[in-house]
Amino acid sequence: MVWISFLLGLITAVSAAELPKFLTKHSIDSIRYITMDGRYAYVKKSPGVLGMVSSFRSVDFLSSAATSDFTVRGSRTKKRLVIEVIPNVHGEYDLYKKNKIMTLEIGNTVAKEIGLGVNAKLHLVDEWISFYNPIDKELSIKNIITEKTYLITLQAKMNPYFRPEVEMVTSDTILYTDLNEQGYTALMSYNLLTQKSSIIYRASQTATRMELCSSSAAIGVGEFPYEGVERGSKIMQISQPNGSNLAGLTTIYTSQDQDLGNMICTTKGYYFVKTMGVERKLQVKNTEAVFVDLAGKVEAKTSLKHVNQLIEMDGRILVPDRGDYYVLEGRSNLSDDILKVVPPKNEELPLEL
Amino acid sequence: MWPQFSLNLFSKKIIGTILLGSCFFSHSFAQVPVSPPAKLTPIQDNAIQTPASVEYPGLIQTFEKIIQVDADKFNNRSKDLVKNGRTFTTSTSVTGLDLEPDFLNSIILHSDSSYIKLASMDKCRFYDSIITDLLKSAEGKIQNVLVTYVDGKGKRQSSIMARKDFLTNVVNLDCPLTRTLIDQFQLKNLDKTLKDVSFDIPSGREQCQTVHLNWLGSPKTPYLCQIHEYLDQAKKGLGDPADLSQRKAVASVIDKKLSQMQRDYLDNICKHLDDEELFCAEFLNVSMWTKIAGGLEDRIYAQGICSFVSGTVEPSDAQLRQCLARMKKETDLCLYQSSKNRGLSPQMNCETLSLALNYSTMRSDYLDCPSQSDQLGVTNLSRILLNITKGSVKEFQGPCSNISTGEVFDFNEKFDNDESWKLQACYDDPLNEKEVCSKIFFGSYHNSPHSYPVVVASALRQMRGAEQGITCKMVDSREFSPLKMEYKSGCVIIYEANKCFVSQCKHKILYNDRPIDFIKIKNHVTLDYFPTSVQGERFSQQYLLTHDFKRTGKALSNLTNVINFFKRSRSGLIHGTGCMEELLPTFMKSQSFGQCTPVPFIIDGLIRENDNVALVTRTALDSLQAPRLVSWSNVFSAVRTYQRYHPLRLWTLYGLD
Repeated sequence: MVWISFLLGLITAVSAAELPKFLTKHSIDSIRYITMDGRYAYVKKSPGVLGMVSSFRSVDFLSSAATSDFTVRGSRTKKRLVIEVIPNVHGEYDLYKKNKIMTLEIGNTVAKEIGLGVNAKLHLVDEWISFYNPIDKELSIKNIITEKTYLITLQAKMNPYFRPEVEMVTSDTILYTDLNEQGYTALMSYNLLTQKSSIIYRASQTATRMELCSSSAAIGVGEFPYEGVERGSKIMQISQPNGSNLAGLTTIYTSQDQDLGNMICTTKGYYFVKTMGVERKLQVKNTEAVFVDLAGKVEAKTSLKHVNQLIEMDGRILVPDRGDYYVLEGRSNLSDDILKVVPPKNEELPLEL
Repeated sequence: MWPQFSLNLFSKKIIGTILLGSCFFSHSFAQVPVSPPAKLTPIQDNAIQTPASVEYPGLIQTFEKIIQVDADKFNNRSKDLVKNGRTFTTSTSVTGLDLEPDFLNSIILHSDSSYIKLASMDKCRFYDSIITDLLKSAEGKIQNVLVTYVDGKGKRQSSIMARKDFLTNVVNLDCPLTRTLIDQFQLKNLDKTLKDVSFDIPSGREQCQTVHLNWLGSPKTPYLCQIHEYLDQAKKGLGDPADLSQRKAVASVIDKKLSQMQRDYLDNICKHLDDEELFCAEFLNVSMWTKIAGGLEDRIYAQGICSFVSGTVEPSDAQLRQCLARMKKETDLCLYQSSKNRGLSPQMNCETLSLALNYSTMRSDYLDCPSQSDQLGVTNLSRILLNITKGSVKEFQGPCSNISTGEVFDFNEKFDNDESWKLQACYDDPLNEKEVCSKIFFGSYHNSPHSYPVVVASALRQMRGAEQGITCKMVDSREFSPLKMEYKSGCVIIYEANKCFVSQCKHKILYNDRPIDFIKIKNHVTLDYFPTSVQGERFSQQYLLTHDFKRTGKALSNLTNVINFFKRSRSGLIHGTGCMEELLPTFMKSQSFGQCTPVPFIIDGLIRENDNVALVTRTALDSLQAPRLVSWSNVFSAVRTYQRYHPLRLWTLYGLD
């Protein structure tokens, strides 16, 4: 048995036994999005029905076939949400399936249809949205206000199920990931004005994937190996994304370990899933959520031994664990009853009030 | 004569046996008939004499001494018996026929421990091992057998019996099957006999144990090992030089009747009948790529990878050999395969893939193009069905995901569940003023009436007055050329391979070189893999498998269940559905709270290494020839998370027997 341990000296391990569980008044299974303060919750209220529950009201605002499900995703701007209506979740296991994509302003219940695709993501003060068509391998960039749409066709030949990561840097510059016919992944820049792509960074080895995320300070670029592939991991960042120098990648973290990644950006550093040890022959990994600060100091945040994913929801960082969720950052207990301040004026009020 | 095993093996395994030999084997060895103790005659008493002085300066000399003692004993004993007229010719007036303990000791001392194990299985295996020359005594090949018996006066007597008499008077009487076996292994019958021998390649430890036990218990094993020894001796020029050339000629004839795989297999089993670990190591620890190169495994496992590496559609034998050699050294070579059968990529590295394949039991001798499936439940189910039925993969047209579609459609039709198949081709029939719809699947599979080309041909007959014998052909758009004469007349369905799936297929129909657009596709293939409602349970594929198809389906909720399932079931599979985000977290990132992308999967093997367990797993996204090793932790998390979002809160991991 070969256990690969990593730079122990650089990691500050903290006891994660006391990690708080995410508690809300709603059933965890029904929640699709909840704000940090718990004021607005978007929940699947019955089969095929998405509702919004706030301190003052509960409204069913989106109805689809009973076999449909929903995902709701926010952004760091916290202005809009993007909803994906997934048709026939349990009767049609299909990774090429295109979901109905809609947006709405947080607190409101009027959803606007955007298009069909997967991996919808809001950008630039939530005025832009990107989504991907896995059959045509087309990445759509759409302005929500003007409805102007740009299409970028990806190569993505080596993995039929490849899905790109996207970040919008400025109103005319898109960063996205692609995969070439040799299995090398690359970070690409696309100019909406010239409609031309250029390579910002190309992986030095095959079979790694790139992740993108952004904070107000930087755009994070993670390079992590796929399962069953012996490659190292790397986190880099572009510190001044609004500037013209997109090639100026600063390395924050490198490791020979086969980290899982699933990275989340914050202004102070990056959360990601790190491989703490691996039984090399069987590829059985011991993984934990860690935080690496901008100086490269790694701090273990959990001691669950099998962390797979990290989720960011309205600034709250969560660790899913077999159907439960632990909170790494942000308020964990939303089940208590405390008086809330008066809602903002622009919030819709139900008719009955 | 020196024994044929190494001194090391001797020192480890045999010496203790010899030291205990006399007292142990006279009563219990090999279930050889044991008669009640009778008083020894003076001849026997005289025979058991060791040399007056014995020195034991070291292990080798001790061993030499033991061999010498045994040889002296055997010779003296034989001579005494012959001299005293104790030659046994008939067994009619004797009872309690038994082998002499010293003779047994001599066999143990001079025979390969592997064949001793075989001989110890039962009386007939023991006799067969003597007849086939697998067992040796101090005289080498056993020509004379020393026996004891109780005579008419109730006295135990010793006697020497010629090999021929032993066969006639003892073996043929006690083991009637031996005569048949000898006949089956005559040169003229060898082809037919070998056809009936199962050279099972085991997958997984438990299965290997069963295979090893089967070989030990098989009455044919001594005869097969005799063939192995015969070939080996002729090849090495061992044995009597006088008939060596003749033996070599016969060996050459036998050699041609065996494949390389069979020769290697016999070499392994005959050498390791006494050591299951070593026998299994040949299968489970030896690289899959070595096995393919040696003909022990199907080349299909390497073909896609080598096609990608060599840049050719069908790599030649030489290219494949070269590629296999590289795969053993360059572990990254297996990450991708040719686009024809590409699944979720990258695959596992060569080392891990080889390990997973060694422990995989599922049938995977065909390509099913998972990337051309937009109904992963269909892909998964067809893999299970073809594994159970072992039926041949039928002729198909269109993308090779048609194999899955055709199999699953047939399965549902067979059990009156084709109503659940919603995909239809429809057209308006103005004459009858109605819409005509037929259930279809894209492509053709053994000319099923629901194959799309068959349905289109029928519609052309109805609506365009096409001749009765018209047939339509599915053609890949990359192979279609409008200039080719064969497409100028008749019916052609041109499909875009990378956009043609189970539920949707981008295509156009040409009839006599003109486009046909009156046929509309309606609905999708939507099948509940596991039940999603109580009322609809009857129509789920899991229900059909377990109730109509009569497979035992048992929910497996913990690792102990899984381990026990594989211990109990040699060819069983575990199937389930789980969230991709937890099953393969590097292939699907959670973007939002409550995100779960259900993906069906099959587990067909289990590997234990110290305290770790890995499950040989194929998601329906993976190539059939490229399983993955997934930890129980990930499988459990995937199923547990899916359970939370399932409408019936169903646990979706079942063992299928």
